[in-house]
Amino acid sequence: MVSSALTIQDILPFRANNKKVDMDAFLPFIVLPFLLLIATISRTITIIIMVVIGMGVLYVYTRPRQKNRSPFFFSWTMSSAVTMFLVFEIIILGLLEVTQLENFIFLLLLACTCYFFYKMKAIADFELATGSSKGKEYSPVLTSDSYYCQVCQIEVNERFFHSIWWDCCVLRPNYVYFLAGQICAFATLLFGTNLGLTTVCQPFIFYGLILLPEDCNDAYYEFDLSLGFVTCVYGVGYLFVIALVLIRQLLIYLPKYSEPQWRKLVNVLNV
Amino acid sequence: MRCSYRKKIIYGVITILIFIIFSHPGLYGRSSYEFIEKHNILKYLHEEVNVNLTSNAFTNCDYHDIINDETTLSPNLIEGDLVEGHGIRDGGEYIPQDCRPKFSTAIIVPYRAEQLRGFLVYMHTFFRRQRIHYRIFIIEQVDSRPFNRAKLLNIGAAAAINAGFPCIVLHDVDLLPLRPSNLYACTKQPRHMSSSINKFRFVLPYLTLFGGVISIRTSQYKMVNGMSNEYFGWGAEDDDLYSRLRACNFKICRFGPEISQYHMFSHKLQRKGKLRSDLLSFARKRMAADGLSSLHYLEVATVLHPLFTHIMVDL
Repeated sequence: MVSSALTIQDILPFRANNKKVDMDAFLPFIVLPFLLLIATISRTITIIIMVVIGMGVLYVYTRPRQKNRSPFFFSWTMSSAVTMFLVFEIIILGLLEVTQLENFIFLLLLACTCYFFYKMKAIADFELATGSSKGKEYSPVLTSDSYYCQVCQIEVNERFFHSIWWDCCVLRPNYVYFLAGQICAFATLLFGTNLGLTTVCQPFIFYGLILLPEDCNDAYYEFDLSLGFVTCVYGVGYLFVIALVLIRQLLIYLPKYSEPQWRKLVNVLNV
Repeated sequence: MRCSYRKKIIYGVITILIFIIFSHPGLYGRSSYEFIEKHNILKYLHEEVNVNLTSNAFTNCDYHDIINDETTLSPNLIEGDLVEGHGIRDGGEYIPQDCRPKFSTAIIVPYRAEQLRGFLVYMHTFFRRQRIHYRIFIIEQVDSRPFNRAKLLNIGAAAAINAGFPCIVLHDVDLLPLRPSNLYACTKQPRHMSSSINKFRFVLPYLTLFGGVISIRTSQYKMVNGMSNEYFGWGAEDDDLYSRLRACNFKICRFGPEISQYHMFSHKLQRKGKLRSDLLSFARKRMAADGLSSLHYLEVATVLHPLFTHIMVDL
């Protein structure tokens, strides 16, 4: 039995089908800020909320894949990005401890991240719409390279995997953008959470210009400090997930992606 | 195609707008600011000693090597002890014996229920490297009203003026200077000494900040009638002093960020004062009537401890 995600549609069955999509898309923009606000109450509640979110993510990964694309997960990614950005720019910057250069670097990294993921989605949508790989002939016959993507319900050539958090397939043409986006997202989060945590907590000089947070005991004294701290903790969790994604890409997909090139190289060397 | 082109334009415009909005200079702290260069420091120092100072030394103290000292002290010194034979007199006063000091400074510390022993051990260890004549005044508020840092500083300054000190340093008890080259002497203009605090990421939050540790000549302090006595609770009394100095056309100065490094101990943050923004908006108008000239308090006791002069007051 395939278990489906619990949506508003399940709770209120009299709602029309088209409403389900809208609610799923808006839900993360309400749920995530609400969870972060609850987490500002105390350290114990922060830990509980972060564990709940972590368990939610694990649950999503252990479920069998849905047939329909759900906008919930992509909306969760967007709401995470928007929430973390707003908290950083309004609360962390409001404490006047971040310099203009540091914020400029952060905005630049964020812009690169957004650009790469935008290109990734644009190429994926283009591929699915036109059904052809750029610069390559599309084979209408299922070859060993082509797969049927259950979530997109479309046959795609050289499908790598489907990312539910970006709501698109990652194929050969947009794989580089996916990887670049993940690396930029990692750098952005690393830099942003470092700035945030060293602002909210007592920092120390680790090496040269690099500061690290040392003592966060005062983080829950005021609301804005605790919101900044909780958002940075959420950002660190996100950082951890991105690191796992990058490691997984390195270990599994890079050899697969570069296998044809390696084979060519080996053939050339053998001749 | 036109749709996607329009989308790209919109995204581009939003990105540029975000960059513009979040580039406003008022949103940032400053890692660099105008300061007195190291090679000019001695020229900008105001040399004056306490009228009551007697010294048997033959030569004047030289401060070149102190200004060029690159070492950093560790805050862990607070857990140590003072050296044997430290030569500190009762009341926390010290006069270097090997040379005649050029600077006499009274360090005024407003205090209530914080960690004091570690601060005193650290500061006396720190001052041994500076060869200045100094005395530490701890002004303790013993009543239960909100903490009034400015009034305590006024009381301490009045005591320092009575003792004949020409230079006072208004010092928070949770700040430790990390560099011995940060000389505790007055410059010709009032100086904001704590411009690079670890708690603030070693960044100056705003250019007109005048809190933490400042040095000011007692003549200048009297000219602005000291600080306002009305700020009960945390906040804005340092901005009030800054506006008083500006009203009398005093400019403030700083040393470089590396010299001005301080370590702030995390401590229980105080309740913010309720009326501080109202008081601050009328700071200049209240200058003449509110300050050193209108200082009324009950002095509970003055005790000359071995390491400090303890003045307990009820505001």
